[in-house]
Amino acid sequence: MKDSRGPTDGDGQPKAADGDGQPKAADGGSVNSPFETISDIEETRRDRYRKRYENYVYAPFSIIWDDWRARIGLAIIALYVFVGTVGVFLVEPTTNLDGSAFIQPFETWEHPFGTDRMGRDLFADTIHSTRPILIMMASGGLFTVTVGTVFGTIAGYKGGITDTVLSSITDVFINIPGLPLVIVLAVMFEPRNPVLVGILLSIAAWAGLARAIRSQVLTMRRESFTEAARAMDVSTSRIIRKDILPRLMPYIVINMMNATRNIIFSAVGLYFLGVLPFEDQNWGITLYLAYDAGAHYRPGALHWLLIPMIAIIGISVGLILLGQSLDRVFNPRVRARHRNGEAEAEGSEDVEADNTGMMKQV
Amino acid sequence: MTEQAVSNDDRDASITDPILEVRNATVKFGMDRGESRVLDDVSIDIERNEILGVVGESGSGKSMFASAFLDAIVDPGTLSGEISYYPDSGGEVDVLGLTKSELNQFRWEEIAMVFQGAMSSFNPVRKINTHFVETLTAHGDTVSEGMERARTILSDLYMDPERVLRSYPHELSGGMKQRVLIALSLVLEPEVLVMDEPTAALDLLMQRSIISLIEDIKEKYDLTIVFITHDLPLVVDLADRIGVLYAFEFIEIGPANELLEEAAHPYTRALLKSTPNLTAPVDEMRPIEGSAPDPVNEISGCSYHSRCPMADQRCEVEDPGPYIVDTDHDVHCHYWEEASEAVPMPNDGSGTETGSPDSDQPISVQTPETRPRWAGENPVLSLDDVEVHFEATQDEGLLNLFTDPETVRAVDGISFDIYENDVVVLVGESGCGKTTLGKAAVGLERPTAGRVEYRGQDVWEAKETGGDIPFEDIRQSLQIVHQDPGNALNSYRKVFSSLEEPLVRWYDDLDGNDRRQRILSMLKHVGMSPPEDYIERYPHQLSGGEQQRVALIRAMLMNPDVILADEPVSALDVSLRVEMMDLMLELQDMFDTSYLFISHDLANARYITEKTDGLIGVVYLGKLVEIGTPERIINDPQHPYTRALCWATPELLTETDRTDDSPMRKIDIPDPTDPPSGCRYHTRCPEARDVCREVEPEMVDSGTDETHQRAACFRAQENHEYWTSESIVED
Ligand code: SF4
Ligand code: SF4
Repeated sequence: MKDSRGPTDGDGQPKAADGDGQPKAADGGSVNSPFETISDIEETRRDRYRKRYENYVYAPFSIIWDDWRARIGLAIIALYVFVGTVGVFLVEPTTNLDGSAFIQPFETWEHPFGTDRMGRDLFADTIHSTRPILIMMASGGLFTVTVGTVFGTIAGYKGGITDTVLSSITDVFINIPGLPLVIVLAVMFEPRNPVLVGILLSIAAWAGLARAIRSQVLTMRRESFTEAARAMDVSTSRIIRKDILPRLMPYIVINMMNATRNIIFSAVGLYFLGVLPFEDQNWGITLYLAYDAGAHYRPGALHWLLIPMIAIIGISVGLILLGQSLDRVFNPRVRARHRNGEAEAEGSEDVEADNTGMMKQV
Repeated sequence: MTEQAVSNDDRDASITDPILEVRNATVKFGMDRGESRVLDDVSIDIERNEILGVVGESGSGKSMFASAFLDAIVDPGTLSGEISYYPDSGGEVDVLGLTKSELNQFRWEEIAMVFQGAMSSFNPVRKINTHFVETLTAHGDTVSEGMERARTILSDLYMDPERVLRSYPHELSGGMKQRVLIALSLVLEPEVLVMDEPTAALDLLMQRSIISLIEDIKEKYDLTIVFITHDLPLVVDLADRIGVLYAFEFIEIGPANELLEEAAHPYTRALLKSTPNLTAPVDEMRPIEGSAPDPVNEISGCSYHSRCPMADQRCEVEDPGPYIVDTDHDVHCHYWEEASEAVPMPNDGSGTETGSPDSDQPISVQTPETRPRWAGENPVLSLDDVEVHFEATQDEGLLNLFTDPETVRAVDGISFDIYENDVVVLVGESGCGKTTLGKAAVGLERPTAGRVEYRGQDVWEAKETGGDIPFEDIRQSLQIVHQDPGNALNSYRKVFSSLEEPLVRWYDDLDGNDRRQRILSMLKHVGMSPPEDYIERYPHQLSGGEQQRVALIRAMLMNPDVILADEPVSALDVSLRVEMMDLMLELQDMFDTSYLFISHDLANARYITEKTDGLIGVVYLGKLVEIGTPERIINDPQHPYTRALCWATPELLTETDRTDDSPMRKIDIPDPTDPPSGCRYHTRCPEARDVCREVEPEMVDSGTDETHQRAACFRAQENHEYWTSESIVED
């Protein structure tokens, strides 16, 4: 029952059927159409870099800078990074019998953090521990987030058999107990390289993230804006990069911060338990040695335990503060307000809804 | 009638037995930019057992007005003024003086409220039954008695109480949820029911059905109803009196019919004129220029003066107090007596000329310049017996694992063609499959059977094996503008970034500056200036209309042949719809595209098709039941379902011209997983006969040589066995 139309007596000019689907405006449409406007100024490479700089560097930083939590967090992290990169060259590594045993912190300027039982300088020890720990954290955090995001987005967006395969792998990793696996692997491989240690420690951590991201991508995939992008024949990878990832970023960033924090705790824990092989100095090893020597009951040795603990707590506080404020960078409402340089009048409940809606879904 | 302002106290002389008195109610919000008044010194009396319609566009303060009755303004807003409630039993209650626990009793038991957005009012993991029980216990009522009442109310609302009570909220359709919400608000036997846009999310047929139910309910339960909406024609039917809110205050209050026929305020008149309907000539429909004032800026004089065609100096300085038009008709305009000349209505002078949809007066049809010549031309897009069936996915609940998935026959054998510069509007109620059909037409949903051809090339064949026309070109040519503009744009991308996407994908030769320039000129063209400011905005910084424009431009930048516009105006205020549709038609001219519109509103469908000489197709449960030119569809609908849609379209008619009885036997659309046999409409059709149950009617021609109309109903065929068949309509 094909529907056909009765004859009509219209007198319009039918447009030439351009079966090749070329843009019609090109073959003599209306001349003044705004659609044909082009600019007379060529865009230079510099313009392009400048725009990128504004979008990806300047804007995020100025937003972060607005928030005191971020400022403190950034300062703390920056200090650790400075210590881990430059500090190691400024301070000589310590050896046994650097000074006498158990000098208390702030007793002499030679050993500001004091010394341990072997007379090793705890200040130098702390400084030289920072580097491997930072490398561990960064590699572990990046590994978690990258693998989690890749698995989650691809499984969620592609669907079908790809989804089934990736989701099954994810489920396996979610369901195996994380810590025992890490211990077994650590004993088997005895990783010494901090990068490997970082990855090993996060071997199962990415799966939870992957699953959460998958479910979010699954809903986004059905939303109108991705459908519109598909209708424009935008490639899948571009849709994921431009439409989907930015919306996931707040979540990813928070997870990255949590993952790195977990790395440091489990690394310290495993060194403390003696599961991981000792390589360079790091805070976990120091803690182990201190505990082994009974620093917690021995008079005058408490600082041996406290100094590495403070170092650990410091960096994790920095990460928490930074993580809490980083999600603002991606919030369009915050970005919009920032551009105008003034707070906008808007129902405060909208802002909340936008923020928490995302977090609740996860 | 003199130009004498009345004082606030005796203004409502016509009110004899008020149930609620609102005096000088003001709601203020402190904001960073300054204090904003979102309700400005409003005073009104509400008569016992009346239905008061409150009409206002978004941002007019109408929701604040609703919350004020219950002293339920959310922080940080503050409410001042006086609200007195006079219960049946006598006495007086000072609403704003109630303590917290008294207020909790008062809400729901004396004044109940029905909000829009039924979904968020329910707890998704609780059954409907639990909602009722919880409400009853929270107010210390006897549950067994209360549930008895609940059952009665539910069946009064044409629902099966047992089934509904057993269901989870997501198992009910939007219309049912809204009715359950009404039942829930009535279960404690309140005196007053305040309804804030209770039907806004529903299709017209359901809206209209609910409106007729509200009338019955009001009689039966002795209610006083305050009905708040942006849709003036919708309440005209229902309300005894109507108050029009503009810029946070009432600018006109009067009896519904009087307001309709002799609106005295220029704004009310403009509002009436901007509303698409079925009877007024399409050329007479005009959008209201300008926009409503910002609540932060204190406006001196008349709040409408920036948009009013009659404004003069006096209006700018002097606040127009209420002038009395009639004993029960007040207006806030200095020059109301001249308003009828300044803002003429199409039916002025000959008020009775407008006919009802069924009247045989044909609508005057003008011939648009670009009239497509279909005869002998090849269609751009051609649908042939398209079917889309999918398995009903119920992703929640373990139990569903064990039940067989049911097939939803969303589209079940539909054929039609779209030509160059053509417009086809698909109308039908929610759940009839019109959106799925539209998406199948533009290649975004794969049909399970049948063919979709673009200039003779099967779309899906091109995608899979390649064809004469590469799939890329087809993809570019078929575009979509979504229903909800807020969701169609990625809220994380600036306007520029969203609009750049089609250019980046399709026009390699443009560099960043060209793209920017082109986007700027398009924005300017659609009236968003300064465009330099707009491209830097995020979607949440745009109004609904602006978002829709951006989505429309984005589709246009693809330079497509056919655009699927899924309810492009239903999210907008009534007064903005005409403007948006005009813009779409203008862009159509400029870009030489065709539109496939989807709408649940026959008035919008008529506006678009009459201006372009397009066709209206009526879809019911996956079937095309009637298709034809607007004048045929509206003046002489062949299919009883089309007639029901005409009935549901709010008309600016006075009471005498209106037919109140629903031309349908059932309110709810049947389950699409199990559509009725024979003619799918037979379960609701008032004309159904025995044969309709068994045989499916074919599409037959009932147009003339000049016009086009085809319908799938036996009644369109003269010598059909239908006419000798037994009627199956009970009672
Ligand atoms: S008072 Fe003046 S500005 Fe206001 S509506 Fe009347 S004529 Fe227009
Ligand atoms: S075929 Fe029968 S049931 Fe169907 S619409 Fe016509 S009269 Fe009604």
